[in-house]
Amino acid sequence: MNMKFRLSILGLLLAGSILLSGYGLVSPNDPWPVPEKYQKMPNPVKADASSIATGKSLWNKHCVSCHGKTGKGDGTKAATLKTHPGDFSTAEFKSESDGAVFYKTSEGRKDMPSFKKKIPDQDDIWSLVNYIRTLK
Amino acid sequence: MNPIHLLYKMRLPFGIGILLMLFFVDAGYGQDADSNAVAEKPKVKPVKNIFESVWLIDNQTVLVPIKGTFEMDFQHRFGVVKNGYKDFFGLFASSNIRLGANYAPMDKLFVGIGLTKYKMLWDANVKYAILQQMTTGRWPVSVTYYGNMAIDSRGAENFVHFSDRLTYFNQIIVGRKFTEAFSAQVAPSVSHTNVVNGYYSEPGKVSPERNHNHFAVAVNGRYKLKEAMAVLANYDQPITKHKAGNPHPNIALGLELATSAHAFQFFFGNYYYLSPQQNNMYNQYDYTKGEWMIGFNITRLWNY
Repeated sequence: MNMKFRLSILGLLLAGSILLSGYGLVSPNDPWPVPEKYQKMPNPVKADASSIATGKSLWNKHCVSCHGKTGKGDGTKAATLKTHPGDFSTAEFKSESDGAVFYKTSEGRKDMPSFKKKIPDQDDIWSLVNYIRTLK
Repeated sequence: MNPIHLLYKMRLPFGIGILLMLFFVDAGYGQDADSNAVAEKPKVKPVKNIFESVWLIDNQTVLVPIKGTFEMDFQHRFGVVKNGYKDFFGLFASSNIRLGANYAPMDKLFVGIGLTKYKMLWDANVKYAILQQMTTGRWPVSVTYYGNMAIDSRGAENFVHFSDRLTYFNQIIVGRKFTEAFSAQVAPSVSHTNVVNGYYSEPGKVSPERNHNHFAVAVNGRYKLKEAMAVLANYDQPITKHKAGNPHPNIALGLELATSAHAFQFFFGNYYYLSPQQNNMYNQYDYTKGEWMIGFNITRLWNY
């Protein structure tokens, strides 16, 4: 009886730890607060062909290894990250303002590097935002 | 006579021809920006990413990384390919290696040091962007100066004076991004070596077997096949004629893969020494005899 009790406790603990680790894997990423200044910041760069081309070039150089070719978060390095890079085709992402995407790209957080030094021209980051908007 | 031999015979006019082409051919990258300028008056900015790396095979590019960039260079040149399986196409032959570290303390300036296995050469180098190609027509080309001083750090038994260890290299690089995919540059240079070998020109009189200064010109370019992949081509033409030991030109073709922090270049070429003044003054590998080598340049960037 005692042995059965111990085994059932052990089984419960095992099941619980599997569930919890599973929960950990599918849990949504931490919310990423964006300062109001950036939330409302308008995109000063018109999304014309030149801007989209600039953004595409930057995307392929700096972003594609984690975010994947189409922004689904399935790049070759994505599996090694602690934080999932997110899926840019979702309605949730599309509802974010240009300013919010600009802020997150510039500042970075955890696995996501800050790009304000690597891409020093802010207009280029806005062009990158314009290209990200074209991802489906 | 094949075209390469013809170019070799032409020497200086070839380099000048390319230089003139760079300045006056007007089917350019800037032209596209100009056509937009009428409608929207975009900001005039330096043209970006004329090249992805500070290196283009055996030469420097016009690229000077942005302020705060720290860069490391890992460069290899293997043995000649023509020995075949014996040393696995030169990959198992004695290779030459250079390790370098560079930093951009301010905009347009890049300084660095390096150590090369051949002659245990320490080099200190400086690169400065004199002019930058702009998105509208103000400056149609980028012009960058590159110079280094190298010290042969082998044992004292190889030298009489300390100054015998020193060599110098100075180069002006004129480059232009013609289209999003195609960039090219021409780079005249002068190499100086403090000491050269001598010979008895008459009993009791020693004469130098070569000049202390050597002029050369490099022409090279990149064509992007995909966003992160490009083909590279490079040609180095010696100009100065010496009494003995004239250097051979260098033809090199390669592939470049660039990512956010790395640039990988893999190529075939005729230059082994990794130091530009050693290559330009002393290259004894002759492409007409099939003396090609495999080499690579890897750069790693950090931004601070």
